[in-house]
Amino acid sequence: MNLIGISINHRTSSLELREALHLNRDEIVSLIPRLKEQIFSEGVVISTCNRTEILGFPQTEGLGVNSIIGSLLQAKPIDGIKPEHFTRFFSCGAVKHLFSVASGIDSMVIGDSQILGQVKEAFEISEDLDFAGSISRRIFDTAIKVGKRSIKETTIGEGAVTVSYASVQVVEKIFANLEKKSALVIGAGESGELAAIHLRDKGVGKITISNRTIERAETLADKVHGEIVPFQFLKEHLHNFDIIISATSSNELIIHADEIKTAMKKRKGTPVVLMDIAVPRDIDPDVRKIDNVFYHDMDSLKIIVDQNMQKRKEQIPLVEKIVMEELVGFFNWYNTLDVVPTIKSIRSFFEEIRLDELEKIKNKVSDEDFTKIEDMTRRMVGRLLHNPTVKLRGFAESGANIKEVLTNTLILKELFNLDDFPTNGKSDSEENHNSEGNDEKK
Amino acid sequence: MSQTITTLNVLLPLLYLTSFTVYLYDFFKEQKAVGNVNRIILFITIIVHVSYLLALTVEYDHPPITTKFEIFSIIACSIAFSYFILELLTDIRGTGAFIILFSVVFQVISSIFIGPNYKVPEVLRNRLLGLHVISALLGYSGIIISAVYGVLFWLLYRNLKENKFGLIFNRLPSLEILEKLSFYAAVIGFILLTLAIVIGIIWLPKAFPDFSYFDPKLTGTLFVWLVYGVGITSKWIANLYGKKFIIFSLIGFVVAIASLIVTNSLARTFHSFY
Repeated sequence: MNLIGISINHRTSSLELREALHLNRDEIVSLIPRLKEQIFSEGVVISTCNRTEILGFPQTEGLGVNSIIGSLLQAKPIDGIKPEHFTRFFSCGAVKHLFSVASGIDSMVIGDSQILGQVKEAFEISEDLDFAGSISRRIFDTAIKVGKRSIKETTIGEGAVTVSYASVQVVEKIFANLEKKSALVIGAGESGELAAIHLRDKGVGKITISNRTIERAETLADKVHGEIVPFQFLKEHLHNFDIIISATSSNELIIHADEIKTAMKKRKGTPVVLMDIAVPRDIDPDVRKIDNVFYHDMDSLKIIVDQNMQKRKEQIPLVEKIVMEELVGFFNWYNTLDVVPTIKSIRSFFEEIRLDELEKIKNKVSDEDFTKIEDMTRRMVGRLLHNPTVKLRGFAESGANIKEVLTNTLILKELFNLDDFPTNGKSDSEENHNSEGNDEKK
Repeated sequence: MSQTITTLNVLLPLLYLTSFTVYLYDFFKEQKAVGNVNRIILFITIIVHVSYLLALTVEYDHPPITTKFEIFSIIACSIAFSYFILELLTDIRGTGAFIILFSVVFQVISSIFIGPNYKVPEVLRNRLLGLHVISALLGYSGIIISAVYGVLFWLLYRNLKENKFGLIFNRLPSLEILEKLSFYAAVIGFILLTLAIVIGIIWLPKAFPDFSYFDPKLTGTLFVWLVYGVGITSKWIANLYGKKFIIFSLIGFVVAIASLIVTNSLARTFHSFY
């Protein structure tokens, strides 16, 4: 297989470089015609915040990965990029890499749930731009199957692996029905926003945002369909919330133990969860001594994240097994593609003999007899080739045991010396791919 | 029939042990493969147990409530049955091992010591007595289940307060759910205990000439009933939350156990049939 590819990812380069090379949808759409024109007959461009990858089948032999890197840098010229920032993949290695990416085990956050959708979307762009063929379609279908199987058959995607999500996981261990709970998010920065979004996604009944800059609070409140509490009145409203997540950049404590004690009296002891995901801390850690107050800071939430990350790492061998199973399955199918050209070769071989013999008797018999002989020989060749053709086609359609397929095609090639005949090989690919596709439909 | 009873008597502890093991395995491993296996095994166990109790009733011509070990078997069955219903209603399966453990203990003791009992006082053949005893036992099963959920609540509460995120954190349902389960079990236990007391008060004076309202077993049960009554009423009226209600439940359980030990072992009562 002549699939080749390059990847720049979290293992090979810094965040700055990855960010600089990130391609949005429009940029991918404008890069693909250039790749199609200069390098690949079919391929795909995957670009996320942690990786940019280009894979494809070169139009001509001898085209190296450097030309792919060249095209990418032409589309996105950046300084400081070096060849060693790219990993290169060939043939089976490229397919295996793609399967690993789709399964999430190659992601920076192992088991990342978004990558499968991103792989799918990348291939859809290729299909829209007529940059996808039957082999690449089969590769991506299998990659998506790998991703789905990994999620279904293992726990690679389970458990919170970010502090914001871990805080929501703790909240779920305290409250059963989040729809009836109200949450306050203090700080509208990146962490606060993430926490607010997680709370919204978990169906928390009411979300309120408080931030020193009221405009930012309003923006985030709009995003999560929440309300705002002016920062200066924050402490008067503490008792109204079951969940308080604080994520400001303040250097001093924002919530003190006495204020929580007062709030708890007003709440008549109903529990409250306080999540301090700020560094330095926003909430006085002494609040944890108060009954029915559940206080967690970055250190404690990090314990959950680390535990879940470890659990996901333990799932990698299981996912790798799925990758290998699907890789074997894919190559079993791929290798059966040899059958189609063999069928064509053997038919050409017999047809050539038939025409040659007909030519010899053409002038020795009447036109009427010649027509009869011509019909008879056509039927005879057809009947002679019927069984081997059906058998071989059957192997190709069912993706049968590769050893059996290879042995049979090899015997046929050897017996009839078919190597000298045309349509023998996958590199004249498009015609064969299409014929295989048609065969499958049959 | 007697051969069937002997076979079921041996089979039941094994079935409860199997149920307990599968629930425990599910608690520790949370394997998707376990699926409904634990629930199915428990269901089969309960069916076998009910058949066993029916067989005892038919063979000995009285409900199996005349000896401690017959009653132990009914307690094992009612705990398993109550838990099974609770699991069906809530679909919370992570706590089964903690409850089934009680069934295992009661049934193992019962199976070891139980013997044939053809001759019983005529009073024990009364249907009202059967209803009285069964509602009392189901009531106590509710109290046991409530206490188990109370302990689990307490464990998770401590784990959350002390930032321990191990097995308890990962496998138990939320505090709110544990509290609800404990509360519902206590309410069911309280209602059944009320029924047992009412039947007892109506029927006992007629059946026993030496009946006394100051009988230790009656006063002990009334005291347990009062503790739960106060706890449940406070929860409704004063919106008693989680930890405080759980304390009530655990105190109620301790009082119930103490009352059973005292009235069955130490005090003299007309209320003793064996």
